[in-house]
Amino acid sequence: MRHIDEVSDARLVTSIARYSEVALAEVYRRHGRSVYGLARRVLQDAAEAEDITQEVFLRLWREPERFDPERGTLRSFLLAQAHGRSVDVIRSSSSRRAREVREAARTARAEYDMEHEAWDLALADQVASAMGELSADERRAIELAYFEGRTYREVAQVLDQPEGTVKSRIRSGMRRLRDALAEAGVRGVEA
Amino acid sequence: MISHDHASELLGAYALDAVDDDELTELEEHLVSCPRCRAELDGLREAAGALGNTVEPPPEGLWPRIAERLGEDSGEEGELPPMPELTVGTPPERSPFRAPSPGRTRRTRSNTLLLGSVAVAASAVAIVLGIGLVRSQHDVTNLQRSVAHERAVARSTPAEIALHTPGHRMVNLVDSAQVEQARFVIVPGGRGYLVSSSLPALQSGQTYQLWGIVGTTPISLGLLGGSPHGSTFTIAGAPSIAKLALTAEPSGGTVAPTGPIVASGTV
Repeated sequence: MRHIDEVSDARLVTSIARYSEVALAEVYRRHGRSVYGLARRVLQDAAEAEDITQEVFLRLWREPERFDPERGTLRSFLLAQAHGRSVDVIRSSSSRRAREVREAARTARAEYDMEHEAWDLALADQVASAMGELSADERRAIELAYFEGRTYREVAQVLDQPEGTVKSRIRSGMRRLRDALAEAGVRGVEA
Repeated sequence: MISHDHASELLGAYALDAVDDDELTELEEHLVSCPRCRAELDGLREAAGALGNTVEPPPEGLWPRIAERLGEDSGEEGELPPMPELTVGTPPERSPFRAPSPGRTRRTRSNTLLLGSVAVAASAVAIVLGIGLVRSQHDVTNLQRSVAHERAVARSTPAEIALHTPGHRMVNLVDSAQVEQARFVIVPGGRGYLVSSSLPALQSGQTYQLWGIVGTTPISLGLLGGSPHGSTFTIAGAPSIAKLALTAEPSGGTVAPTGPIVASGTV
């Protein structure tokens, strides 16, 4: 019998469909830190990040069939949910005040510093080098959209650049990132 | 409908959840019909996933809190209780191509709701229909189907499984006005299950008793209680049962029916 930490993510999801709590716990052990890390980073709020993390894993428990392993990795699936939900929270009108507070917190941290973020070690080098392939403009537009939960139009406002330009930069930057990661052999990313 | 080129331009932003609502609907409509854009989106989303891969250990107490909630409901409702502080008003309709975040994918969720409620209704159709619904979506893989199937089976009652067994027979019991009162399923081998019942609850001290009619002789098949649900019986060893019938009898049952037939049906 294989040890649980050798079981693939896809098999774990099948076990979750059979209500295996052990399988869900293993998925949490593997990906909980990423899900929480992303929500925390986007929301700049530990309590909200905990709520989102809880929501993401409970939803996997209740609707495991929504994960399609042929469309991507489980990690990306979970992160996409964590991100989408975090962005919903950020964009809600009720949290406008909270957003101002978040932005103040960000300003205090000044620029993003990839070097000093805690990265999943398995991915650290590849992502850092892939990000290095991007132009400064592309990188900035992507970071504002992804980590601050802004739409590309909002990014255009922040950067005082035309919307079309920002949209194109995000697209070209994301494609470049995808290609660089695929070349580095990051699982699940194909050009 | 937006053009393919326009949609394609938006995919980078879409993978980052950075498209405004007014463009979102049209883009998602395009995604439904464009496999090329869907494939590109999957790749971009993986890239976004790598980008978002900063890790931070969650607080120690978080997993126990999640584990505690696993038993809350088995997912039949498919709904999480809303978290008040996170309520953001009515989100716009999202497509299944949207990063599937709770509160965003109402279409997908309503499918699941349907799957759940039908399963609760103890119908074999639940399993078939549930898988049918999932299958109707684009890009559903075998593994995903098998996950959906596992979940449907895990949720199933013995009666539902019986309804999924090849060669099963249905027996509908109707009252004197031809109104269906109970429905049974019998699988090869003679095991039978109550699938559904609209029988009125009996007074205390009474029970429904199920009879198999062989020729003209009733043979007791078992007691169903005063308000039957989920009952099991067997007709193995009594192969020539032509009819099933129900009577109301004193608790403990009787050797031969004493009350009038409440409902009956041909096997």
